[in-house]
Amino acid sequence: MPQPDAAPMIEVRNLQKSYGDFAVLRNVSFSVARGEKIVILGPSGSGKSTLIRCFNRIEPHDAGEIVIDGERIDQTTELTRLRCTVGMVFQNYNLFPHLSVLENCALPPRVVKKAGREAAEDLAMNFLHRVNIADQARKYPIQLSGGQQQRVAIARALCMQPSVMLFDEPTAALDPEAVSGVADIMASLSADGMTTLCVTHEMGFARRIADRIIFMDQGRILESAPPEDFFTRPRTDRARDFLSQMIRY
Amino acid sequence: MPGPLSVRTFLWVCLMLGLLAAPGARAQAPSFAAGGLTVCTNPTLPPMTFVNGTDSSDLAGVDIDVSRRLGAYWHVPVSFVSMDFVGLFPSLEAGRCGMVISGVVRQPAREVKFDAVPYQPTSLVVVARAGTAPIAAMADLSGKVLAVQSGTSYAARVAQENVALAAAGRPPIEIQQYPTEDQVVQQVLIGRAFAFVSQDVELAFRQTQLNGKVSVIFQPDYPEFRNFAIYIRKDARDRAALAGAIAALRDSGQMTPILQRWRIIPGGGAQESTARAASGFNWRTFASALVSPAFARGAAITLAMAVLSHLTAIGLAVPMAMVMNGRDGLLKSAIRAYVALFRAAPTLLQLLFVWNALPQFLPVFREAWFTPFLAAWISLSINEAAYQVEINRAALQAIDPGQALAGDALGMTRMQVYRHVIFPQALRIALPSTINEFISLIKTTSLASVISLQELLAVTQINVARTFEFTEYYAAALIYYLLIVFFFLWVQKRIERRFAWADRLKATSHAAA
Repeated sequence: MPQPDAAPMIEVRNLQKSYGDFAVLRNVSFSVARGEKIVILGPSGSGKSTLIRCFNRIEPHDAGEIVIDGERIDQTTELTRLRCTVGMVFQNYNLFPHLSVLENCALPPRVVKKAGREAAEDLAMNFLHRVNIADQARKYPIQLSGGQQQRVAIARALCMQPSVMLFDEPTAALDPEAVSGVADIMASLSADGMTTLCVTHEMGFARRIADRIIFMDQGRILESAPPEDFFTRPRTDRARDFLSQMIRY
Repeated sequence: MPGPLSVRTFLWVCLMLGLLAAPGARAQAPSFAAGGLTVCTNPTLPPMTFVNGTDSSDLAGVDIDVSRRLGAYWHVPVSFVSMDFVGLFPSLEAGRCGMVISGVVRQPAREVKFDAVPYQPTSLVVVARAGTAPIAAMADLSGKVLAVQSGTSYAARVAQENVALAAAGRPPIEIQQYPTEDQVVQQVLIGRAFAFVSQDVELAFRQTQLNGKVSVIFQPDYPEFRNFAIYIRKDARDRAALAGAIAALRDSGQMTPILQRWRIIPGGGAQESTARAASGFNWRTFASALVSPAFARGAAITLAMAVLSHLTAIGLAVPMAMVMNGRDGLLKSAIRAYVALFRAAPTLLQLLFVWNALPQFLPVFREAWFTPFLAAWISLSINEAAYQVEINRAALQAIDPGQALAGDALGMTRMQVYRHVIFPQALRIALPSTINEFISLIKTTSLASVISLQELLAVTQINVARTFEFTEYYAAALIYYLLIVFFFLWVQKRIERRFAWADRLKATSHAAA
């Protein structure tokens, strides 16, 4: 059943999750349009990372509903298929150290999508070019800088050709110059219509790439606004406090 | 059909009459030899039982000849199982063989559990280096070191002397026990022990090997050491049948040539002398041992046993380590108990248990398919897996959880994550400890000689027992062990070269190359 473009890419209703007695997500509801770039902000422990990890079911949610591209995500979801649709990039890159840059990118299509070696490597080289790191294809991750490694991690996720990309604090371990490189790539992704959700602590980075900022605290969404509105006219006291803390540093 | 029936009956009666007429020639085999006589022996005790050549399966000696005569007498095939002395009686009890004949003296203590039938008179001798003054009584050994073979009853008998010495306020005889007769003799030759205890017939044979380097200094008159005996499981009828068979062999003059052949009594043909000049290092012996099929075969068995056992152990340990790294549960507790048990119990005990105790619970393990090789393989695998689980668990634990997370997020299944992401990295961490364990296992295989596996060290000891050329054969064995271990260290280096990705400098030079 083809989805009209107007339908949201991600639809979240009353999402709940707790670790034991501690409620991480409390009745979270929002939707993400196709091609939209969302940045999720909030203090540590507000549930940002847990929220996006529910989308590729690395963290299963307890109650509520997640619909991605018209498909409900629950315990019956076929994980391999879901994760081909929803890619993820981590704070610590999590590249496979025993594989070269090229092999890091070619392995997932080969084992998950059963692509042939040559086809997988062509695909990998293509995306390595996209993130400007093709010249390092034969090197091992240990030989690359942090920024280079994160670009490889993005290329690796793109090799699965997802429609949604989740970024879990992708720039937290990077120097400012590298942050700008990653931001360039993320901007170029959405130019191609990729839907992205990004958890970050970098205000400048957030401002630069976001179509919309979602502000979370204590497992709830407190604000959802375009970056200009959020950064200049936050509506809640909690967001104001958060921003003033951030600016002080 | 009266005609054919009466013919058959007639033939049957004739046959029965024939059997009755010649009871000696057609004796019924006792139950322990029904269908074939299997003999357990420790072939390190010439001239009773030993290997008279480089082929360690080619047994010779009085005991071997007597066994063959018994087989012929009962019209059953005879087969021999060689093993360490310590393994003889447990094997008899486990039903691995019908009888033990291995230069074992008749001993009341042993007859509590087994039946003994004497076949050759002997007497105990105390032997010291040539030129030592004879002693007048066992008490004169007070405070001196006496070497005896472990598993024999000599030690217990000497301990009785010590009780008397203690009562008299004198220092005891210091008893040192060694696993083989040749090692016992060696202690005296190198001067560590003052004397050793042996049987006169063995000594007579040894003298030719030793070129008169030792001499008898005392002959204690212990009544319980006057006969060599064949041991069987307790059964009055079998015992009578065996005693009858020995008497029949003696009466028909079949024992004399055996005793003459092995020079226990004078006469008979010239026995090939194994005597050699025992001074200096005999390079010829060393070289011929190195290239002998027996040593090559022993080394091959050692190598095969170590490789197979370790591969099996790794195969068992990997899934166990995966469980150990998962959530708590019944399976995890069971594995933890297994690891604790098999790391705590000595490997030797585990080998003896599998070989000798298992058949008592499960008779299928008594059958011929359960070879020493198989038993050692099973014991060593299970034992080694307990250590390997810990190595693998630690290696898996050392992998950053982010690796599995990334694999998951890329849509890989659990098995694909293990196969492509975790195992290749865990291998690098586990390899050095694993190779260490393997090298240790190569040497542990020598324990399997107690369950009669003819591995490298067993072959060495059999050859030493035959010739008394300790240094030459030990050196040959050492060369084999070194070759095997160095080969695997080289393999380790080769594999580690592939782990350049873990080291920035190496990775750079690797990529440049």
